[in-house]
Amino acid sequence: MNEQVLDDIVNEYLKKVKKALPDWLKDKKEHKEILADLSEHIWQKAKELSETNQANEMSVQKAISFMGSPQAIAKEYKRRGEPKVFITKEMWPLYTRVLGIVFVVIIALTVFGSVVSYFTEITSLETMIASIVEGIQVGILTAFAIITIIFAALSMEGYFPEDFKSKKEQRMKKELVKKAAAEGLPYSEVEGKPIKPFIKPVGEIIGGCIGLIFGIIFLLQPFDPNILIPDFSILLRFFGAIITIQGSLDISRGIIGNHKPTTHQVIHGFTIAAKLAVIPLLIILMNRPEIFPWFSTPWIQVGIPVEFYEPYRVIMTVIIVIVCLTTIEDIYKIIKIEKYKI
Amino acid sequence: MIKRVKGMDPEFQEYAAKVESEINRGLSSVCVLSIINEYGEQGVYGYQISKDLEERTNQMLIIEEGTLYPLLRNLQRDGIIKSYREKGGRRRKYYSLTKYGKKVFNYLAGFYSKLTEAIGSLFDVKVDLQSDRYIFCPMCANKIDLSSGVQKFCDACGHHLEDELKSRGIKNE
Repeated sequence: MNEQVLDDIVNEYLKKVKKALPDWLKDKKEHKEILADLSEHIWQKAKELSETNQANEMSVQKAISFMGSPQAIAKEYKRRGEPKVFITKEMWPLYTRVLGIVFVVIIALTVFGSVVSYFTEITSLETMIASIVEGIQVGILTAFAIITIIFAALSMEGYFPEDFKSKKEQRMKKELVKKAAAEGLPYSEVEGKPIKPFIKPVGEIIGGCIGLIFGIIFLLQPFDPNILIPDFSILLRFFGAIITIQGSLDISRGIIGNHKPTTHQVIHGFTIAAKLAVIPLLIILMNRPEIFPWFSTPWIQVGIPVEFYEPYRVIMTVIIVIVCLTTIEDIYKIIKIEKYKI
Repeated sequence: MIKRVKGMDPEFQEYAAKVESEINRGLSSVCVLSIINEYGEQGVYGYQISKDLEERTNQMLIIEEGTLYPLLRNLQRDGIIKSYREKGGRRRKYYSLTKYGKKVFNYLAGFYSKLTEAIGSLFDVKVDLQSDRYIFCPMCANKIDLSSGVQKFCDACGHHLEDELKSRGIKNE
């Protein structure tokens, strides 16, 4: 039997295996090693199966039949990850993260688009709110369906989150693992790997200091007391007190660093209370545009002109929504930090 | 195994083959690890594993040979085994257990041995655990080879093995 014919039989089988293998293996060029191992195996088996100790067509065909179908081999490579609903446990954190990011982008774009159209097309406040709600509903539902289908398909193909990362990123992750182990940072129970630091201490301290400076300025108001309307001045002092508290809380979290998760959770609890305390003040301010600083010449506060009341209220509404969203973010952080308790 | 038999009731054969395959799936990892363990640090290549598996199990544990490689890859990914490729000749890939893999294997071997002993009565068969050669941790079933020296604690769960050693008259110092 011509050796070329035998080669062709083996290569034909290997070609089918290659075709069936999942893309994440081919992307990593790992399939070459796999095919080389299979080829070596087939030739050795064929040699042993032959009576003359030389591979022949029958022994090669038999050796291939022992290997199993290309689909069965590929299925084993795809069989990784623990199933969790239709999406594997390993892909679940990435799935929820992608959903979260896409949802936030959809909400931000919908709110931004509706506010812009409110000003440019001069629609009513009710229409704007209705358009925000509708946009968010449709956007989130569509994105949820598409993302879920994509992740279910990726899970079936045996993808892992690291398959989307370059070698450089994977190397950096390994370094992070080493660093985390050296610093005694906690490990994720879900991924079994060190979790990224949950705060950037320097960022928290800088942010907290900026908050503290503004808070103290608002509180003490070290400028001419007649420059502001007394009602606004009182409100500003309340804002100052709350911002000072928030700044101090941020600084304390920065000082604690990536340790003591329970303390972080408690501090986030206080931060939520402080943020919620801002909302009634903002509602008061929204309903009293006449006290908001708006200066005429000479330097006298006259309050916002009546024609700007409507946009002023919209802006205040947006600020209240943002405060609510950041409060939700704090609740999310409390839940997220739970994973760090080991 | 049952797939090889010809002329059977196809419905029965299909069902039996399916169950057989499910049982073999978990079992094949332990058996492959056992063979790799036997070759020690020098390691063993894929074809030899498949051949040993066939011979040592009297062709009872049949896995499709091509599916051995995904299994080896997964074991390597999980840090249970390591590999190196032969520099010259056929450039075969040799597999051996890592330190962590050895620990995992001892546990799995112990668990599987105790399990087969325990379920033996269900099928009216007796399994010899070779208790003169091994201790099985009473807490986690980890298999401890007495020939490799006396150890005070189970290396899988940390259980103090004093009672087990005493009951065999082995001094624990």
